[in-house]
Amino acid sequence: MAGTKEIKTRIQSVQETKKITSAMYLIASTKLRRARQELEHTRPYFEALRGEIKSIFRTASDVDSRYFYPVGNDTPREGTYGCLVITADKGLAGSYNQNAIRQAQELLEWHPDTKLFVVGEYGRRFFAQRNIPIERSFLYTAQNPTMARAREISALLLDGFHRGELKEIFVIYTDMESAMSFQARSARVLPFHRTYFDTLDGERVAAEPFEFLPNANSVLDSMIPSYVSGFIYSALIDSFCCEQNARMTAMDSANQNAEELLGELSLRYNRVRQSAITQEITEVSAGARAQRQRKDR
Amino acid sequence: MDTFQVHILAADKTFYEGPCVSLVVPTTDGERGILAHHSSMIAAIQPGTLRYQVPGEEPRLAAISPGMVKVEDNDVLVLVDSAERPEEIDEARAQREIEEAREALLQQRSRQEHQIAQATLARALNRLRVKNMGIGR
Repeated sequence: MAGTKEIKTRIQSVQETKKITSAMYLIASTKLRRARQELEHTRPYFEALRGEIKSIFRTASDVDSRYFYPVGNDTPREGTYGCLVITADKGLAGSYNQNAIRQAQELLEWHPDTKLFVVGEYGRRFFAQRNIPIERSFLYTAQNPTMARAREISALLLDGFHRGELKEIFVIYTDMESAMSFQARSARVLPFHRTYFDTLDGERVAAEPFEFLPNANSVLDSMIPSYVSGFIYSALIDSFCCEQNARMTAMDSANQNAEELLGELSLRYNRVRQSAITQEITEVSAGARAQRQRKDR
Repeated sequence: MDTFQVHILAADKTFYEGPCVSLVVPTTDGERGILAHHSSMIAAIQPGTLRYQVPGEEPRLAAISPGMVKVEDNDVLVLVDSAERPEEIDEARAQREIEEAREALLQQRSRQEHQIAQATLARALNRLRVKNMGIGR
Protein backbone atom coordinates (compact mmCIF):
# COMPACT_ATOMS: atom_id res chain seq x y z
CA MET A 1 0.00 0.00 0.00
CA ALA A 2 1.24 3.45 -0.90
CA GLY A 3 2.52 5.64 1.86
CA THR A 4 0.69 8.66 3.22
CA LYS A 5 3.01 11.04 1.45
CA GLU A 6 2.32 9.60 -2.00
CA ILE A 7 -1.42 9.68 -1.44
CA LYS A 8 -1.23 13.24 -0.20
CA THR A 9 0.59 14.45 -3.34
CA ARG A 10 -1.91 12.58 -5.45
CA ILE A 11 -4.79 14.30 -3.66
CA GLN A 12 -3.14 17.63 -4.21
CA SER A 13 -2.66 17.07 -7.91
CA VAL A 14 -6.26 15.97 -8.35
CA GLN A 15 -7.36 19.11 -6.55
CA GLU A 16 -5.26 21.29 -8.85
CA THR A 17 -6.73 19.62 -11.92
CA LYS A 18 -10.19 20.07 -10.53
CA LYS A 19 -9.55 23.77 -10.12
CA ILE A 20 -8.65 24.00 -13.80
CA THR A 21 -11.62 21.99 -15.00
CA SER A 22 -14.09 23.97 -12.93
CA ALA A 23 -12.58 27.24 -14.19
CA MET A 24 -12.94 25.96 -17.75
CA TYR A 25 -16.53 25.07 -17.00
CA LEU A 26 -17.27 28.62 -15.86
CA ILE A 27 -15.48 30.17 -18.84
CA ALA A 28 -17.37 27.95 -21.26
CA SER A 29 -20.70 28.85 -19.69
CA THR A 30 -20.12 32.62 -19.96
CA LYS A 31 -18.88 32.27 -23.53
CA LEU A 32 -21.91 30.21 -24.37
CA ARG A 33 -24.24 32.85 -22.98
CA ARG A 34 -22.55 35.61 -24.97
CA ALA A 35 -22.58 33.64 -28.21
CA ARG A 36 -26.25 32.81 -27.76
CA GLN A 37 -27.03 36.48 -27.37
CA GLU A 38 -25.23 37.25 -30.62
CA LEU A 39 -27.17 34.53 -32.35
CA GLU A 40 -30.42 36.06 -31.13
CA HIS A 41 -29.39 39.42 -32.62
CA THR A 42 -28.79 38.04 -36.08
CA ARG A 43 -31.68 35.66 -36.26
CA PRO A 44 -34.36 38.17 -37.39
CA TYR A 45 -32.18 39.36 -40.27
CA PHE A 46 -31.29 35.90 -41.40
CA GLU A 47 -34.83 34.60 -41.25
CA ALA A 48 -36.17 37.62 -43.14
CA LEU A 49 -33.52 37.15 -45.81
CA ARG A 50 -34.46 33.54 -46.30
CA GLY A 51 -38.10 34.49 -46.41
CA GLU A 52 -37.39 37.01 -49.15
CA ILE A 53 -35.50 34.55 -51.30
CA LYS A 54 -38.51 32.30 -50.90
CA SER A 55 -40.90 35.01 -51.97
CA ILE A 56 -38.81 35.81 -55.02
CA PHE A 57 -39.31 32.19 -55.97
CA ARG A 58 -43.01 32.32 -55.53
CA THR A 59 -43.41 35.29 -57.80
CA ALA A 60 -40.70 34.42 -60.30
CA SER A 61 -40.28 30.67 -60.14
CA ASP A 62 -38.79 30.51 -63.64
CA VAL A 63 -35.83 32.67 -62.69
CA ASP A 64 -32.63 31.03 -63.84
CA SER A 65 -29.60 31.91 -61.78
CA ARG A 66 -26.16 30.44 -61.50
CA TYR A 67 -26.86 29.93 -57.81
CA PHE A 68 -29.61 27.40 -58.48
CA TYR A 69 -29.86 24.06 -60.09
CA PRO A 70 -31.44 24.41 -63.52
CA VAL A 71 -35.21 23.97 -63.53
CA GLY A 72 -36.14 20.32 -63.22
CA ASN A 73 -32.56 19.11 -62.85
CA ASP A 74 -31.43 18.44 -59.31
CA THR A 75 -28.62 15.98 -59.95
CA PRO A 76 -25.34 16.90 -58.25
CA ARG A 77 -22.88 18.66 -60.51
CA GLU A 78 -19.62 17.16 -61.68
CA GLY A 79 -16.33 18.66 -60.67
CA THR A 80 -14.54 19.93 -57.63
CA TYR A 81 -16.50 20.61 -54.49
CA GLY A 82 -15.60 22.98 -51.72
CA CYS A 83 -16.22 22.06 -48.12
CA LEU A 84 -16.00 24.29 -45.10
CA VAL A 85 -15.37 22.26 -41.95
CA ILE A 86 -15.91 24.03 -38.66
CA THR A 87 -13.96 22.63 -35.72
CA ALA A 88 -12.71 24.11 -32.48
CA ASP A 89 -9.27 25.54 -31.78
CA LYS A 90 -8.90 23.38 -28.71
CA GLY A 91 -9.80 19.89 -27.69
CA LEU A 92 -11.24 18.96 -24.29
CA ALA A 93 -14.74 19.21 -25.59
CA GLY A 94 -15.93 15.62 -25.59
CA SER A 95 -16.73 14.21 -29.00
CA TYR A 96 -17.42 17.63 -30.55
CA ASN A 97 -14.41 17.73 -32.88
CA GLN A 98 -14.51 14.04 -33.74
CA ASN A 99 -18.12 14.26 -34.88
CA ALA A 100 -17.44 17.18 -37.23
CA ILE A 101 -14.35 15.50 -38.64
CA ARG A 102 -16.17 12.24 -39.16
CA GLN A 103 -18.77 14.07 -41.25
CA ALA A 104 -15.98 15.59 -43.34
CA GLN A 105 -14.40 12.18 -43.89
CA GLU A 106 -17.74 10.77 -45.02
CA LEU A 107 -18.04 13.57 -47.54
CA LEU A 108 -14.50 12.96 -48.76
CA GLU A 109 -15.29 9.29 -49.27
CA TRP A 110 -18.46 10.11 -51.16
CA HIS A 111 -16.79 12.70 -53.35
CA PRO A 112 -12.97 12.53 -53.21
CA ASP A 113 -12.50 15.60 -55.42
CA THR A 114 -13.22 18.00 -52.59
CA LYS A 115 -11.21 20.97 -51.45
CA LEU A 116 -11.22 21.48 -47.72
CA PHE A 117 -11.52 24.84 -46.01
CA VAL A 118 -10.97 24.32 -42.33
CA VAL A 119 -11.92 26.57 -39.45
CA GLY A 120 -10.16 25.85 -36.19
CA GLU A 121 -6.74 24.62 -35.15
CA TYR A 122 -7.94 21.15 -34.17
CA GLY A 123 -9.27 20.29 -37.61
CA ARG A 124 -6.21 21.75 -39.32
CA ARG A 125 -3.88 19.59 -37.27
CA PHE A 126 -6.02 16.51 -37.77
CA PHE A 127 -5.96 16.76 -41.56
CA ALA A 128 -2.31 17.81 -41.66
CA GLN A 129 -1.30 14.74 -39.65
CA ARG A 130 -3.07 12.45 -42.08
CA ASN A 131 -1.62 14.22 -45.11
CA ILE A 132 -5.02 15.28 -46.34
CA PRO A 133 -4.46 18.51 -48.30
CA ILE A 134 -6.21 21.61 -47.04
CA GLU A 135 -7.05 24.37 -49.46
CA ARG A 136 -7.15 27.06 -46.82
CA SER A 137 -7.42 27.11 -43.09
CA PHE A 138 -8.79 29.84 -40.89
CA LEU A 139 -7.37 29.97 -37.42
CA TYR A 140 -8.81 31.60 -34.36
CA THR A 141 -12.06 32.22 -36.12
CA ALA A 142 -13.81 29.51 -34.23
CA GLN A 143 -12.82 31.24 -31.04
CA ASN A 144 -14.49 34.53 -31.85
CA PRO A 145 -17.06 34.37 -34.61
CA THR A 146 -17.78 37.78 -36.08
CA MET A 147 -19.73 38.90 -39.11
CA ALA A 148 -16.56 40.28 -40.72
CA ARG A 149 -14.90 36.89 -40.48
CA ALA A 150 -17.93 35.16 -41.94
CA ARG A 151 -17.92 37.65 -44.79
CA GLU A 152 -14.26 36.95 -45.45
CA ILE A 153 -14.84 33.21 -45.58
CA SER A 154 -17.91 33.52 -47.77
CA ALA A 155 -16.08 35.92 -50.13
CA LEU A 156 -13.38 33.31 -50.58
CA LEU A 157 -15.87 30.50 -51.20
CA LEU A 158 -18.03 32.57 -53.53
CA ASP A 159 -14.99 33.67 -55.49
CA GLY A 160 -14.14 30.02 -56.14
CA PHE A 161 -17.74 29.36 -57.05
CA HIS A 162 -17.95 32.28 -59.48
CA ARG A 163 -14.77 31.27 -61.24
CA GLY A 164 -16.12 27.75 -61.61
CA GLU A 165 -13.38 26.17 -59.53
CA LEU A 166 -15.87 24.97 -56.96
CA LYS A 167 -19.01 23.45 -58.39
CA GLU A 168 -20.78 22.91 -55.11
CA ILE A 169 -20.18 24.30 -51.66
CA PHE A 170 -20.82 22.41 -48.45
CA VAL A 171 -20.61 23.51 -44.86
CA ILE A 172 -20.03 21.02 -42.05
CA TYR A 173 -21.04 22.43 -38.73
CA THR A 174 -22.49 21.29 -35.45
CA ASP A 175 -26.10 22.13 -34.88
CA MET A 176 -27.58 22.65 -31.46
CA GLU A 177 -30.86 20.81 -31.52
CA SER A 178 -31.72 21.58 -27.95
CA ALA A 179 -29.84 22.61 -24.84
CA MET A 180 -28.72 19.05 -24.26
CA SER A 181 -28.20 17.50 -27.69
CA PHE A 182 -26.16 18.57 -30.66
CA GLN A 183 -25.34 16.94 -33.94
CA ALA A 184 -22.74 17.43 -36.66
CA ARG A 185 -24.36 18.19 -39.97
CA SER A 186 -23.24 18.71 -43.48
CA ALA A 187 -25.32 21.19 -45.46
CA ARG A 188 -25.07 22.24 -49.06
CA VAL A 189 -24.99 26.01 -49.39
CA LEU A 190 -24.56 26.42 -53.12
CA PRO A 191 -26.13 25.79 -55.50
CA PHE A 192 -29.58 25.91 -53.97
CA HIS A 193 -32.27 23.39 -54.36
CA ARG A 194 -35.42 25.01 -55.54
CA THR A 195 -37.39 22.78 -53.22
CA TYR A 196 -35.42 24.16 -50.28
CA PHE A 197 -37.11 27.49 -50.71
CA ASP A 198 -40.47 26.13 -51.85
CA THR A 199 -43.62 27.33 -50.23
CA LEU A 200 -44.61 25.31 -47.23
CA ASP A 201 -48.24 24.42 -46.80
CA GLY A 202 -50.26 26.97 -44.94
CA GLU A 203 -47.73 29.72 -45.51
CA ARG A 204 -48.85 33.11 -46.72
CA VAL A 205 -48.56 33.44 -50.48
CA ALA A 206 -47.78 36.83 -51.99
CA ALA A 207 -51.01 38.49 -53.05
CA GLU A 208 -49.70 40.56 -55.90
CA PRO A 209 -46.63 40.18 -58.07
CA PHE A 210 -43.57 42.19 -57.20
CA GLU A 211 -41.83 44.56 -59.48
CA PHE A 212 -38.14 43.68 -59.57
CA LEU A 213 -35.67 46.50 -59.91
CA PRO A 214 -33.66 46.28 -62.09
CA ASN A 215 -34.54 42.57 -62.51
CA ALA A 216 -34.98 39.43 -60.46
CA ASN A 217 -31.55 38.11 -61.30
CA SER A 218 -29.58 41.11 -60.12
CA VAL A 219 -31.65 41.28 -56.93
CA LEU A 220 -30.75 37.65 -56.30
CA ASP A 221 -27.13 38.37 -57.14
CA SER A 222 -26.97 40.99 -54.44
CA MET A 223 -28.87 38.88 -51.91
CA ILE A 224 -27.12 35.54 -52.28
CA PRO A 225 -23.69 36.70 -51.01
CA SER A 226 -25.43 38.12 -47.94
CA TYR A 227 -27.32 34.91 -47.54
CA VAL A 228 -24.16 32.83 -47.76
CA SER A 229 -22.25 34.98 -45.31
CA GLY A 230 -25.28 34.95 -43.02
CA PHE A 231 -25.44 31.18 -43.27
CA ILE A 232 -21.75 30.83 -42.51
CA TYR A 233 -22.02 33.26 -39.63
CA SER A 234 -24.89 31.38 -38.05
CA ALA A 235 -23.08 28.09 -38.66
CA LEU A 236 -20.00 29.50 -36.93
CA ILE A 237 -22.02 30.69 -33.96
CA ASP A 238 -24.06 27.52 -33.82
CA SER A 239 -20.86 25.48 -33.76
CA PHE A 240 -19.33 27.81 -31.22
CA CYS A 241 -22.34 27.35 -28.92
CA CYS A 242 -22.07 23.58 -29.33
CA GLU A 243 -18.37 23.64 -28.65
CA GLN A 244 -18.90 25.54 -25.42
CA ASN A 245 -21.77 23.30 -24.49
CA ALA A 246 -19.72 20.17 -25.18
CA ARG A 247 -16.88 21.60 -23.14
CA MET A 248 -19.25 22.37 -20.29
CA THR A 249 -20.52 18.79 -20.31
CA ALA A 250 -17.01 17.39 -20.52
CA MET A 251 -15.77 19.62 -17.71
CA ASP A 252 -18.80 18.85 -15.61
CA SER A 253 -18.10 15.11 -15.81
CA ALA A 254 -14.42 15.79 -15.18
CA ASN A 255 -15.42 17.66 -12.03
CA GLN A 256 -17.60 14.76 -10.93
CA ASN A 257 -14.80 12.30 -11.61
CA ALA A 258 -12.43 14.45 -9.59
CA GLU A 259 -14.90 14.50 -6.70
CA GLU A 260 -15.19 10.74 -6.80
CA LEU A 261 -11.44 10.31 -7.01
CA LEU A 262 -10.90 12.70 -4.13
CA GLY A 263 -13.38 10.82 -1.97
CA GLU A 264 -11.70 7.52 -2.71
CA LEU A 265 -8.23 8.92 -2.14
CA SER A 266 -9.06 10.58 1.16
CA LEU A 267 -10.65 7.35 2.35
CA ARG A 268 -7.51 5.49 1.42
CA TYR A 269 -5.37 8.16 3.02
CA ASN A 270 -7.28 7.90 6.29
CA ARG A 271 -7.02 4.15 6.24
CA VAL A 272 -3.28 4.25 5.69
CA ARG A 273 -2.84 6.84 8.40
CA GLN A 274 -5.00 4.83 10.82
CA SER A 275 -3.13 1.63 10.15
CA ALA A 276 0.18 3.47 10.65
CA ILE A 277 -1.03 4.75 14.02
CA THR A 278 -2.30 1.31 15.01
CA GLN A 279 0.98 -0.21 14.03
CA GLU A 280 2.91 2.33 16.05
CA ILE A 281 0.77 1.72 19.13
CA THR A 282 1.25 -2.03 18.74
CA GLU A 283 4.95 -1.53 18.45
CA VAL A 284 5.12 0.74 21.49
CA SER A 285 3.03 -1.55 23.67
CA ALA A 286 4.90 -4.64 22.47
CA GLY A 287 8.18 -2.89 23.26
CA ALA A 288 6.91 -1.91 26.72
CA ARG A 289 5.80 -5.43 27.45
CA ALA A 290 9.17 -6.82 26.36
CA GLN A 291 10.89 -4.35 28.68
CA ARG A 292 8.64 -5.32 31.62
CA GLN A 293 9.19 -9.03 31.01
CA ARG A 294 12.95 -8.52 31.01
CA LYS A 295 12.75 -6.57 34.32
CA ASP A 296 10.59 -9.29 35.88
CA ARG A 297 13.10 -11.94 34.98
CA MET B 1 -49.18 62.63 -44.15
CA ASP B 2 -49.70 58.92 -44.48
CA THR B 3 -47.20 56.66 -42.84
CA PHE B 4 -46.06 53.12 -43.39
CA GLN B 5 -44.30 50.50 -41.31
CA VAL B 6 -40.62 50.07 -41.92
CA HIS B 7 -38.29 47.33 -40.69
CA ILE B 8 -34.61 48.01 -41.17
CA LEU B 9 -32.66 44.87 -40.26
CA ALA B 10 -28.88 44.71 -40.24
CA ALA B 11 -26.97 41.46 -39.91
CA ASP B 12 -25.95 42.15 -36.32
CA LYS B 13 -29.00 44.00 -35.00
CA THR B 14 -32.44 45.35 -35.68
CA PHE B 15 -31.67 48.91 -36.75
CA TYR B 16 -35.12 50.52 -36.77
CA GLU B 17 -38.66 49.26 -36.60
CA GLY B 18 -41.66 51.53 -36.63
CA PRO B 19 -43.67 54.10 -38.53
CA CYS B 20 -42.05 56.12 -41.27
CA VAL B 21 -43.15 58.94 -43.59
CA SER B 22 -40.60 58.63 -46.32
CA LEU B 23 -37.66 56.42 -47.08
CA VAL B 24 -34.90 56.94 -49.66
CA VAL B 25 -32.69 53.99 -50.56
CA PRO B 26 -29.71 53.82 -52.91
CA THR B 27 -30.46 51.19 -55.57
CA THR B 28 -28.53 50.03 -58.58
CA ASP B 29 -30.30 52.63 -60.80
CA GLY B 30 -29.86 55.54 -58.40
CA GLU B 31 -31.76 56.69 -55.35
CA ARG B 32 -35.33 55.58 -54.96
CA GLY B 33 -37.86 57.27 -52.72
CA ILE B 34 -40.63 55.30 -51.06
CA LEU B 35 -43.79 56.90 -49.66
CA ALA B 36 -46.90 55.31 -48.19
CA HIS B 37 -48.91 53.00 -50.48
CA HIS B 38 -46.01 52.33 -52.77
CA SER B 39 -46.60 49.47 -55.22
CA SER B 40 -45.07 46.11 -54.43
CA MET B 41 -41.47 45.84 -55.42
CA ILE B 42 -38.15 44.21 -54.58
CA ALA B 43 -34.94 46.07 -55.36
CA ALA B 44 -31.25 45.53 -54.79
CA ILE B 45 -29.54 48.08 -52.54
CA GLN B 46 -26.11 49.53 -53.26
CA PRO B 47 -23.82 50.72 -50.49
CA GLY B 48 -24.68 54.32 -49.77
CA THR B 49 -26.84 56.58 -47.68
CA LEU B 50 -30.25 55.61 -46.43
CA ARG B 51 -32.64 58.41 -45.44
CA TYR B 52 -35.78 57.84 -43.44
CA GLN B 53 -38.17 60.18 -41.72
CA VAL B 54 -40.04 59.25 -38.59
CA PRO B 55 -43.37 61.16 -38.29
CA GLY B 56 -42.89 64.58 -36.70
CA GLU B 57 -39.10 64.42 -36.73
CA GLU B 58 -36.19 65.51 -38.86
CA PRO B 59 -35.03 63.04 -41.51
CA ARG B 60 -32.40 60.64 -40.25
CA LEU B 61 -29.40 59.25 -42.07
CA ALA B 62 -27.64 55.91 -42.03
CA ALA B 63 -24.67 54.44 -43.83
CA ILE B 64 -25.65 51.07 -45.28
CA SER B 65 -23.95 48.25 -47.11
CA PRO B 66 -25.45 46.10 -49.90
CA GLY B 67 -28.72 44.30 -49.43
CA MET B 68 -32.29 44.49 -50.62
CA VAL B 69 -35.52 46.35 -50.02
CA LYS B 70 -39.01 44.91 -50.29
CA VAL B 71 -42.27 46.83 -50.39
CA GLU B 72 -45.49 44.92 -49.82
CA ASP B 73 -48.87 46.02 -48.43
CA ASN B 74 -47.57 49.34 -47.11
CA ASP B 75 -44.90 47.46 -45.23
CA VAL B 76 -41.25 48.03 -46.10
CA LEU B 77 -38.49 45.61 -45.27
CA VAL B 78 -34.87 46.71 -45.64
CA LEU B 79 -32.27 43.95 -45.31
CA VAL B 80 -28.65 45.07 -45.32
CA ASP B 81 -25.35 43.66 -44.09
CA SER B 82 -24.73 46.64 -41.87
CA ALA B 83 -26.37 49.96 -40.98
CA GLU B 84 -24.84 52.76 -38.92
CA ARG B 85 -26.05 56.13 -37.68
CA PRO B 86 -23.78 59.14 -38.18
CA GLU B 87 -23.16 59.40 -34.44
CA GLU B 88 -22.05 55.76 -34.32
CA ILE B 89 -19.40 56.26 -36.97
CA ASP B 90 -15.87 56.80 -35.78
CA GLU B 91 -14.40 59.36 -38.14
CA ALA B 92 -10.79 58.58 -37.27
CA ARG B 93 -11.36 54.88 -37.81
CA ALA B 94 -13.04 55.42 -41.16
CA GLN B 95 -10.16 57.66 -42.22
CA ARG B 96 -7.66 55.04 -41.17
CA GLU B 97 -9.54 52.34 -43.05
CA ILE B 98 -9.53 54.48 -46.18
CA GLU B 99 -5.81 54.91 -45.98
CA GLU B 100 -5.20 51.24 -45.32
CA ALA B 101 -7.42 50.18 -48.20
CA ARG B 102 -5.75 52.66 -50.59
CA GLU B 103 -2.39 51.29 -49.58
CA ALA B 104 -3.58 47.71 -50.12
CA LEU B 105 -4.89 48.67 -53.56
CA LEU B 106 -1.51 50.09 -54.55
CA GLN B 107 0.25 46.83 -53.76
CA GLN B 108 0.17 44.12 -56.38
CA ARG B 109 -1.83 41.46 -54.67
CA SER B 110 -4.12 38.63 -55.65
CA ARG B 111 -7.39 39.42 -57.38
CA GLN B 112 -9.39 38.45 -54.36
CA GLU B 113 -7.46 40.67 -51.96
CA HIS B 114 -7.85 43.51 -54.43
CA GLN B 115 -11.63 43.04 -54.41
CA ILE B 116 -11.77 42.96 -50.64
CA ALA B 117 -9.70 46.14 -50.41
CA GLN B 118 -11.97 47.84 -52.93
CA ALA B 119 -15.07 46.89 -50.98
CA THR B 120 -13.48 48.11 -47.74
CA LEU B 121 -12.57 51.40 -49.37
CA ALA B 122 -16.12 51.88 -50.67
CA ARG B 123 -17.58 51.14 -47.23
CA ALA B 124 -15.20 53.47 -45.42
CA LEU B 125 -15.75 56.34 -47.88
CA ASN B 126 -19.48 55.90 -47.54
CA ARG B 127 -19.25 55.97 -43.75
CA LEU B 128 -17.22 59.14 -43.82
CA ARG B 129 -19.67 60.80 -46.21
CA VAL B 130 -22.62 59.97 -44.01
CA LYS B 131 -20.75 61.21 -40.96
CA ASN B 132 -20.02 64.56 -42.58
CA MET B 133 -23.58 64.93 -43.84
CA GLY B 134 -24.92 64.19 -40.39
CA ILE B 135 -22.78 66.95 -38.88
CA GLY B 136 -23.31 69.54 -41.62
CA ARG B 137 -27.07 69.47 -41.20
